[in-house]
Amino acid sequence: MPAGRKRPAPSPFAGFSPFARSLLFSPASGFSRLPLTNAAKPHQDTAGMPPPPPKRAKQAEPSSDMEEEEEERPSSDADEELSGSDGDGDSDSSPECSSSDDDDASQEMETVQADFAFFDPKPADFHGVRLLLKTYLDSKPWDLTGFVDLVLEQTTVGTVVKMAEDEDEDGEANGGDKSDDDGDLFGLITVLNLGRYGENRCIKDLKEYLLAVCGDKDTKEKLKSLLEDKASTVGLLVCRRFVNFPYEMVPKMYDSLFDEVSWATEDEPTQELQDSFRFKQYLLLVRILERKTPPKQKAKNNKDEDEPVIYPKLEDEIFRELSSWSFTFPIRAEQSAQQELKNYKEMGLVMCVKADVIPKFRKKLEALVSE
Amino acid sequence: DPVLCYVVSVGIQFENNCEVGVFSKLTNAYCLVAIGGSENFYSTFESELADVIPVVKTSIGGTRIIGRLCVGNKNGLLLPHTTTDQELQHLRNCIPDQVVVQRIDERLSALGNCISCNDHVALTHPDLDKATEELIADVLGVEVFRQTIAGNILVGSYCAFSNRGGLVHPHTSIEDLDELSTLLQVPLVAGTVNRGSEVIAAGMTVNDWTAFCGSDTTATELSVIESVFKLREGQPTAIVDDMRKSLIDSYV
Repeated sequence: MPAGRKRPAPSPFAGFSPFARSLLFSPASGFSRLPLTNAAKPHQDTAGMPPPPPKRAKQAEPSSDMEEEEEERPSSDADEELSGSDGDGDSDSSPECSSSDDDDASQEMETVQADFAFFDPKPADFHGVRLLLKTYLDSKPWDLTGFVDLVLEQTTVGTVVKMAEDEDEDGEANGGDKSDDDGDLFGLITVLNLGRYGENRCIKDLKEYLLAVCGDKDTKEKLKSLLEDKASTVGLLVCRRFVNFPYEMVPKMYDSLFDEVSWATEDEPTQELQDSFRFKQYLLLVRILERKTPPKQKAKNNKDEDEPVIYPKLEDEIFRELSSWSFTFPIRAEQSAQQELKNYKEMGLVMCVKADVIPKFRKKLEALVSE
Repeated sequence: DPVLCYVVSVGIQFENNCEVGVFSKLTNAYCLVAIGGSENFYSTFESELADVIPVVKTSIGGTRIIGRLCVGNKNGLLLPHTTTDQELQHLRNCIPDQVVVQRIDERLSALGNCISCNDHVALTHPDLDKATEELIADVLGVEVFRQTIAGNILVGSYCAFSNRGGLVHPHTSIEDLDELSTLLQVPLVAGTVNRGSEVIAAGMTVNDWTAFCGSDTTATELSVIESVFKLREGQPTAIVDDMRKSLIDSYV
């Protein structure tokens, strides 16, 4: 990972009275998360819907140690959102909340034991998925809600990553706060057939957006062909996750996706649906950071500043190497104010990857993680 | 004429954000709207309100989350200490003279999350400074009550109420609803906005004659909002009436 990408943990609760702290950490209140500028939000209380039987068993993740940061945010919209993740300590596998630490003095990052698991998307995941997809198309208004619904409806192919809580467990005295929705959703991966969903407004918006941001004439022709005549063989590959998502799980996310795609070509109820998963190419829309100005000197201590491009999601670099074509475009939304990244500008990157290089991609990704 | 405002097809969104109550602050005397975002957001407010009250574009402390940082009613507007001098002056210039605009020195600076009020009563975070409580009573001309809502201390986030009615966190108990309703002297209902979001005040903003809701708000949620804030225009259909009966279980 590029150095310095983690934000330093803010001093926890320095300004809060013992009373407020006791309220925030009391198990009865349901809080277990350090607040962000007074805007603490407890985890959601929604009636958990029974999960639909998964098509085939999802891979359960072994527990992984996760450095718990106080902010787990995918974008700079952190201040505007009130959602937070939870660890309510109900079950054995949920993380211990950091309530036992000494808030007054501690500036260290806590290590929290966390179990993640992969689930099929379901309607209750709406808010979590929406949060992850909020910045998918920059700040331009589009049918984001429709897009989220589409992702959630396609339960046969698509995975959300959440805490491995037992979803049947009864709630506690704090009003049955059994949450498996937006507070807990850390990652999402799915692929949507651009032909199958071509009539949906969100897909129309998306196609329009991609054509609008594509500058180069030749690439635009290729893009147009992909979005129009070839659409039924094109899968829009969407992978979104929080910035500090444990990287060991990323190959598993892609494995789970490509496995589900291949199972779908056999398991879907109709020939038409089966064919809709026989993708010939994948289209990806991701974010990268490009250095604003060329380096003045060659010799720099900070390795980052030498890098012309930073890939927040490492696998995107592999995709780009293997892509048939790609293009970048500037992002208009507010840029991150991180000090380490002040020399970099956020850009969108669109890539077309042929389906037959996916095995190569999976190998390279595996190699990347194991080093 | 009371009217419920929501534009479902275009949707009230601020940069794909349905949290209308984060980027705006609506009272009976003025409306604040955050700078930035598409013109659609601002123009929705303007087209509904501009004839009656000033709609003012602003930032607070350089941020767009103005709805969460300030609190106000027809008598006054309280701003956090992070408000810049220019912002303060701009607001004083644009807001009617009879509204007292004051910047206050409260540690819990997200005033909109900590305080909820109409023109007569305010609910506050239990841990608010005593001095702030007095300022609220003075500047906003309200009676102040320290409260929690469904166990949450951020009362400003989990309820929205006008002089006619209020919507609170969905898990508020019947007893709490009754108690709050007595304090506020308006009918209250427990519910959600923006398709199940409990953060009521983030998802909508309301005064005595208009409400603005995020575009994800479902028809059922809208129906509840229309009812409790008494915004219904014209005759309700039979279907909506039935829905309303089944949804509203506490009406003081």
